[in-house]
Amino acid sequence: MRGSITSSAIIHAALLGWGLLSFSAPTPMDMANSESMPIDIVSDVSQLQKGDKKAEKNEKPAPKPTQKPQTIPDAQNVGDSETDVETKPATETKAKPVEAAEAPKPSETPVAKPDPQPEPKPEVKPEPKPTPVPATEVKPEPEPKQEVKPDPVAEAINDVKPVPAPAETPKAEPAPQAEKPAEEEFKLPEKVAMPQAKPTPPAQTAKTPDRKETPEKPKTQTASTPSKEKDGIADQVADLLNKQKASAGGAKRSTDQASLGASKTTGGSSLSQSEMDALRGIIEGNWNKPVGAEESPDMKIIVRFRLTQDGQIDGSPEVSGTGADAGLLNAVKSSALRAVMRSAPFNLPQDKYDTWSTVELTFYPGAT
Amino acid sequence: MEDLTAVAVHTDVSLWGLFWQAGFIVKLVMVGLLGASIWTWGIILDKSLGFGRAKRAFDRFEQVFWSGQSLEELYRNLGDKRTTGMGAIFIAAMREWKKSFEKGARSPIALQMRIDKAMDVALARESDYLAARLTSLATIGSAGPFIGLFGTVIGIMTSFMGIAGSKSTSLAVVAPGIAEALLATAIGLVAAIPAVIAYNKLSSDAGKLTARMEGFADEFSAILSRQIDEKLPRT
Repeated sequence: MRGSITSSAIIHAALLGWGLLSFSAPTPMDMANSESMPIDIVSDVSQLQKGDKKAEKNEKPAPKPTQKPQTIPDAQNVGDSETDVETKPATETKAKPVEAAEAPKPSETPVAKPDPQPEPKPEVKPEPKPTPVPATEVKPEPEPKQEVKPDPVAEAINDVKPVPAPAETPKAEPAPQAEKPAEEEFKLPEKVAMPQAKPTPPAQTAKTPDRKETPEKPKTQTASTPSKEKDGIADQVADLLNKQKASAGGAKRSTDQASLGASKTTGGSSLSQSEMDALRGIIEGNWNKPVGAEESPDMKIIVRFRLTQDGQIDGSPEVSGTGADAGLLNAVKSSALRAVMRSAPFNLPQDKYDTWSTVELTFYPGAT
Repeated sequence: MEDLTAVAVHTDVSLWGLFWQAGFIVKLVMVGLLGASIWTWGIILDKSLGFGRAKRAFDRFEQVFWSGQSLEELYRNLGDKRTTGMGAIFIAAMREWKKSFEKGARSPIALQMRIDKAMDVALARESDYLAARLTSLATIGSAGPFIGLFGTVIGIMTSFMGIAGSKSTSLAVVAPGIAEALLATAIGLVAAIPAVIAYNKLSSDAGKLTARMEGFADEFSAILSRQIDEKLPRT
């Protein structure tokens, strides 16, 4: 008996020694690539928010309105960019020069404009004032434009022009009226105001001295319009530019009135893991993956929808997807949408309605 | 000892690390179960070897017994040796037979009864010897899991106390304690499973050998009874 006990002890010792060596330390589990959940839920989490102690309870919990941070921080990095940028210069050098180059332009053009403008304006403004009527005569202006061409040629031939003018006048008798105003330049507008009906042609001839105005008006307009166009283009470019700072981040600034908390308890908590699992299980059970969906592991479908208090889908869910060609993507998208619709009356805890009022589901068809 | 401290500082999850981190009671349970396992395997080795030996001895004895050798001669051959099993029964019966004849037996029935008694005693002794320590196998087999479970419960209790103490429900806090606690149950099962299997096997083997001895005793009793009839003067 003693022999067998000792031999048994020896065998045990040997086995334990072998066990200590071979089972020494279990290799730590590699949790890296364990994306095996085909559906992921991102519910609209309303986390606990820091409110104001002195404020009263509100319908919706809101934190203290945040202070706008100093927009121009101290320069952090040495670089070539024209403005101080918190992030490293390497990434923003591409975007910034465009902004920096564009921004000065609108400033330069207004600076340049005032110089030409003061010159024409004194000409334009003083003259319309004595002639308040021309405002009504703006219509005939297109015709003077035709006469603008002869202007350089016949500045001295002003006397000659009235000759063609009579050729036009035969149509209307007021031609003699036109000749008189031609002599009296300043009295003219008053008389012109009288025949406002349609005797415009004589007014044209009468305006021969005013031609200087008319050609110059378009000039001011043309001078201004290009500047407006330039501004428009600059605005468009500025609109297109991404003005968001690359370093920006964090939560959205709160604009609500600060409150002590909500009148109803949200618990400040998201759905529990088991509730999310239940929701996921229901949707997964109703999800018929189209054939071939599993072959594209990068595919990702995101379905966003709002829920009413009864758990019904409110409105139409938004579906977006990436990671596959259009045909397959559409098929999978519609299948995901069907899965959501089919499992429609969601049975979720009422007291956490705030957390699941908006649900974002991510479908991974590639995950098995 | 250096080795031990080196391992103890290592808060790893190896077999030794688990044992060394365990509490006193759990350690005691583990050591006790390890001892039980050693004892179990000792019994298993001893019994299986002993039964094999006994079976071969029975075969040899029966061969000699039925070879037509005279009983006196066989008795003389075996008398000076230490015998077990069938040999012991044979010798006990022959001794009684001899004693009775030396003193001059009167009643054949009384003689027959005395020989049967002697054989019964020898048979009981031999079957006791065969079945010795099998009960401890049965005990280890039935109690081992419970002892291991006791260690596990104590260990899990300790690790939950650890949670209460560290105010953290992280699995990393609980896992080593539960692992070491489960080790106790594992050792209990390691000790108990072979014990149960071996108990069933060995007790049935012992039963078979005992039945064989009983059969021999009955046959021998019949032979002796015939001899008594032949040798005693008819009254």
